[in-house]
Amino acid sequence: MAQNTRRPSILESLGQEIIGIVVPVSMCMLMVVILVTVLTSNSSSSSSVLTIANIIESSSDSSWDKFVGALLYSLAFVAFTTVITFVLVLLFYLRYTKFLKIYMGFSAFLVLGFMGGEIALFLIKDFSIPIDCITFLVLLFNFAVVGVLAVFMPKMAILVTQGYLIIIGMLAAYWFTLLPQWTTWVLLVAMSLYDLAAVLLPVGPLRLLVELAISRDEDIPALVYEARPVNHHDSGARGGVVRRRVWRERRNDNSNVGADSNSTANSGSDESGDSRSNSNLNSNEIGDSNPDGCTADNGHNDARLVRAEEGQNSERNEELSSPLLKQVQCPGQEDGVSSDSMVLEGIGLGSSGAIKLGLGDFIFYSVLVGRAAMYDYMTVYACYLAIIAGLGITLMLLSLYQKALPALPVSILLGVIFYFLTRFLLEVFVVQCSLNLVMF
Amino acid sequence: MTVAAGIGYALIALGPSISLFLSVISKKPFLILTVLSSTLLWLISLIVLSGLWRPFLPLNSTSWWPYGILIFTAVAFQEGLRIIFWKVYKRLEDILDAFADRVSKPRLFLTDKMQIALAGGLGHGVAHAVFFCVSLLTPAFGPATFFVERCSQMPFFLVSAIVALAFVTIHTFSMLIAFNGYAEGNRVDQVFVPIVHLASGMVVKAFSNLYSVILHCCLFGARCFTLLREQHFFSPPRPDPVGDLI
Repeated sequence: MAQNTRRPSILESLGQEIIGIVVPVSMCMLMVVILVTVLTSNSSSSSSVLTIANIIESSSDSSWDKFVGALLYSLAFVAFTTVITFVLVLLFYLRYTKFLKIYMGFSAFLVLGFMGGEIALFLIKDFSIPIDCITFLVLLFNFAVVGVLAVFMPKMAILVTQGYLIIIGMLAAYWFTLLPQWTTWVLLVAMSLYDLAAVLLPVGPLRLLVELAISRDEDIPALVYEARPVNHHDSGARGGVVRRRVWRERRNDNSNVGADSNSTANSGSDESGDSRSNSNLNSNEIGDSNPDGCTADNGHNDARLVRAEEGQNSERNEELSSPLLKQVQCPGQEDGVSSDSMVLEGIGLGSSGAIKLGLGDFIFYSVLVGRAAMYDYMTVYACYLAIIAGLGITLMLLSLYQKALPALPVSILLGVIFYFLTRFLLEVFVVQCSLNLVMF
Repeated sequence: MTVAAGIGYALIALGPSISLFLSVISKKPFLILTVLSSTLLWLISLIVLSGLWRPFLPLNSTSWWPYGILIFTAVAFQEGLRIIFWKVYKRLEDILDAFADRVSKPRLFLTDKMQIALAGGLGHGVAHAVFFCVSLLTPAFGPATFFVERCSQMPFFLVSAIVALAFVTIHTFSMLIAFNGYAEGNRVDQVFVPIVHLASGMVVKAFSNLYSVILHCCLFGARCFTLLREQHFFSPPRPDPVGDLI
């Protein structure tokens, strides 16, 4: 083909980082939708979750009562989350990092072992899978332990880590969808408002946490999904200086999601699943395709604590999730590099390093889509598109402001709007049109 | 009818677009983003249209002209949106070219531009197929089916799947033709696309009203259906004849 002899155009690799985040979010949502479909169509089991759900809101209440019940529950949840986040900030400030890490591992084990185990039991019951207790326990235990290791050992294969993070997100999201309907919607809106406040207000706990971590140059112990950093062994190095491109501050009118990132990451940046912020010190030694010059900081600092409540009294789980954050610093500058080829260039392009998305964001996106799946598939498609659009907008804002941003509000609010629009307007229209064979 | 039938209908509507996606679009991340954004745009246009028409639904009339007005407004709105999409695309093209210059890579080739147009069209087509066909397929996974009232031998799901397949093709390639037409200022191409869109919408509706035509199509479709059934594509396997002798 003639194209093989041409130099590759920019279309080959543009937007790769965004796809690296959109694909796992989509997979998590897909798995939650499948779980919801399979388990609600078959289930007749009552569990403690449903009885508690009935205490909050029973189907015989009037609309106003349901709304008030949902509001109270959401406010309680948000208040509890705020308190826990402040406790976390305090512990981090007092340098109890080891304790936090152990606690994270413990909570991951609980999610994988107990929540995953109960969902597996539902599936076994519904599909009559022949398996005995001991085998099941051995398999479950191994699964949970490998998950904990995958999430917290820095040298695990990145696909295993990413897979386990998606599974943890899926399991937690499924348990949230068991809440009654009004409660779920009000909770989603409340959590997105809380996220907005916690990250952007100067007194917000997450902002404090991020600033602490930045000032100490440490990473926060958190469950965070990190897209695989994109390695380009670019021929763009000129005179031994590899140019780093960062998000440009000048706003362009491009409203499409399409104008996106490219990255020339440090080659050889370690592919560990944990957040790394000290690699600006390491990357100078590692990269052989960037021998000298300005290296972009891989200092990704993130935290947002979300208390994942599954509605059972006895279990309390905690997961950290984080806003999207990218930080670029340019510690050194090579002589002979003209000043206008310095850091700020590019048209809304990503810097080096990978995008990180906290696990709580995965969970709440999947809760929204799972709850939409309980109504009809048309709402699922509409909410999926809305969430992805919100994610794209958040990434664009991230490129614009270059600081920690909450990933929940835009997506969740768009998702909720699209859900209600689809449910009340679109579905009637489309069903009418289809039945009368009016298609356009 | 069964899970197999349900999956079959979904694949009839979406099969070519899946293969197009896997072979062309999934290789370039930018095209995946273009597909997602054009799908979203089509969904938004559909929501706006449904908002506009909500007071007038359900249209229970037996005459054709309310449907005609519906189709006309819908097509006009979507063609207007296509022009807006084109303007945004022009600006995007300038940005991408400037970026390519900065990175010292070649500017967008013609094939790149056509691929972006193709991705945009595919987004529209997939949105149509998903919202008009696939999202209504949930009953098709169950044990029964639902026949079209004017032709009681063909299941409704099959009709909508085939029409959705046709519309996927129309949307995908009309975006390509339209962008080419706008780029070169070719009047014929520019006018061709809305006319085809309008005509296809009207024809589908009109055919469902013309009794003789629908009868012939219906009989043809029913014959194909029974032929396939005789080949054991749809029916459960026959009971074992040897086992009866025992």
